[in-house]
Amino acid sequence: MKKKSSFFVWLILIIGMIYFFLPLYATFDFSLRMVKDRLSFEAYRVVFSDPLFYINFGYSLIWSVMTIILSLLLVVPTVYWMHLRLPHWRPTIEFLTLFPFVVPAVVLTFGLIRLYAPFKLLGNPLLLISTYVVLSLPFMFRSVDAGLRAIDVRTLTEAAQSLGAGWPTILLRVIFPNLRVSLLNAIFLTFAITIGEFTVASLLAWESFGVYIRYMGAMRAYEPAALAFIAFGITWGIMGLIQFFGRGTPGQQAQLAGSR
Amino acid sequence: MAFLEINNVSKSFSKNTFAVQDFDLRVDKGELVSFLGPSGCGKTTTLRMVAGFETPSTGKITVNGEDITFRPPNQRDVGMVFQAYALFPNMTVGDNIGFGLKIAKKPPEQIKKRVDEMLDLIHMPGYADRYPYQLSGGQQQRVALARALALSPQVLLLDEPLSALDAKIRVSLRAEIRAIQHKLGITAIYVTHDQEEALSISDRVVVMNNARIEQVGPPFEIYNFPKTEFVAQFVGTLNAFSAEVVDPARQTLRLEGQFLQTQEDLSKRRAGERVMIAIRPERFSFATDGKKDNLFNCTIESITFLGSIVRIQVSFGRVTLNMDTFNNPHLELPKIGDKTQITCSSEAVLILEQGDGQIKPL
Repeated sequence: MKKKSSFFVWLILIIGMIYFFLPLYATFDFSLRMVKDRLSFEAYRVVFSDPLFYINFGYSLIWSVMTIILSLLLVVPTVYWMHLRLPHWRPTIEFLTLFPFVVPAVVLTFGLIRLYAPFKLLGNPLLLISTYVVLSLPFMFRSVDAGLRAIDVRTLTEAAQSLGAGWPTILLRVIFPNLRVSLLNAIFLTFAITIGEFTVASLLAWESFGVYIRYMGAMRAYEPAALAFIAFGITWGIMGLIQFFGRGTPGQQAQLAGSR
Repeated sequence: MAFLEINNVSKSFSKNTFAVQDFDLRVDKGELVSFLGPSGCGKTTTLRMVAGFETPSTGKITVNGEDITFRPPNQRDVGMVFQAYALFPNMTVGDNIGFGLKIAKKPPEQIKKRVDEMLDLIHMPGYADRYPYQLSGGQQQRVALARALALSPQVLLLDEPLSALDAKIRVSLRAEIRAIQHKLGITAIYVTHDQEEALSISDRVVVMNNARIEQVGPPFEIYNFPKTEFVAQFVGTLNAFSAEVVDPARQTLRLEGQFLQTQEDLSKRRAGERVMIAIRPERFSFATDGKKDNLFNCTIESITFLGSIVRIQVSFGRVTLNMDTFNNPHLELPKIGDKTQITCSSEAVLILEQGDGQIKPL
């Protein structure tokens, strides 16, 4: 009986792995066949020597970093205040953060274009970044919320207050350091979402990594496969960083447990 | 003028429901006053108003003559110890204790010196570099106490500081808190729902119920002369009965057909009126020959061995009451179902006023 169930567990696992890795392998294999009858990294060489690659990737980096900064500034104080004073607002705020799951990016962007076109704001990068902030909200909110749940926000705040601390000190010395792991999570997830984003950037006519991949896909054969693999590598690298930093310093979890 | 004055403070969160109502108290310098009451009675809300985490709806709070009613908590010069310790998990013990001094921009040498002093005070020298998660609950709470005291605040507030600890540590730490408070001569307010804790640690106890003060007094007075039924019931164990006044002038009452004498003033009562009386279990004893007053003929219902004392439940008529007797190896205990006579002195019979709290209809 036990043997049978473990067989099915393995079978499901193997099917899952094939489903996941086979297309990836096919893409990778295809990206190596730019030179006829030989495996080579020619497609990668072409991509990495294309100045457009760097320009577009650079833009995407800028959008990502700006999005992360703006998103942190918006979400952390809001969620902190929600935990401290407005717990009954949680359902409302949580519902609002789910917005990008309900409204597809295309619809959202068309809405933005209709709304902001009369104000001549479409060329403003802030519009793109703000849209990215909205797209990253569910992940940002959830990470920060989970981090704040793990520490006793109210008592720690009050303890700091009774010791003479003002709001900036409380946030910078008490709350942020104890949120380190969840803030890193939020940052990396936001980065992963925005770095390869295509829909919004394309519709708002901005250069970005996503747009570049799409452009190459329409023009070339082997390079898009190489780019897809590179994009995949970046995302995986970020996930690896989350895993690495997410573990935190030794005893971090125990520290959090000890604060309860 | 008292050092800490809480003048007629009320707090209502919504119309007509009070968390605290007409709280009036003067605390002298160096005094430890505890607020005792069941959860939701307003004791923590009152403490939080002194700390500045809540603002009173009406009334005034002054410390050393200064009105602090609406001053933000970080400008009050008040130290606070929380039930959940609330040590900063990202900081070492030393950094936790020095946190307030660092914010006050004291020079590093001075901070270090003060931190070492505080660690000596809580008998934890050499712990400065540990993290809170490496300490036991009792140690964490001692560090929290040191952190609250490091700034030499004018008032120390303790919000159920021992509730999260186990029984043995609770008893030893409360003695330590009291000793430190004595040594520093700091004015302190101690919130607890544990009557034994309140009685053992305080100079005075404020018993609260339903947002109001029921009685204020030294522990001895609170225990021996409870003014209201609530205080009598909440502090210690108690036998409370409704008895009939027989002769106000001679202070005679009747309980289930048996007469008893009290030393309390009954001159305002009428014969036939019913009053609430209370007798502590330890005031009863088995009757010896020749005793005539306050004799009850009763039946033994149960005997419970509680270590240092033995609690015996007896009944007569519709009344069941507890009597406590000290344990000793030569104690001759009756058996369940035995008929016996018990007695108590007339001064043990207390008449209870009706407090503002929930009173059982007589």
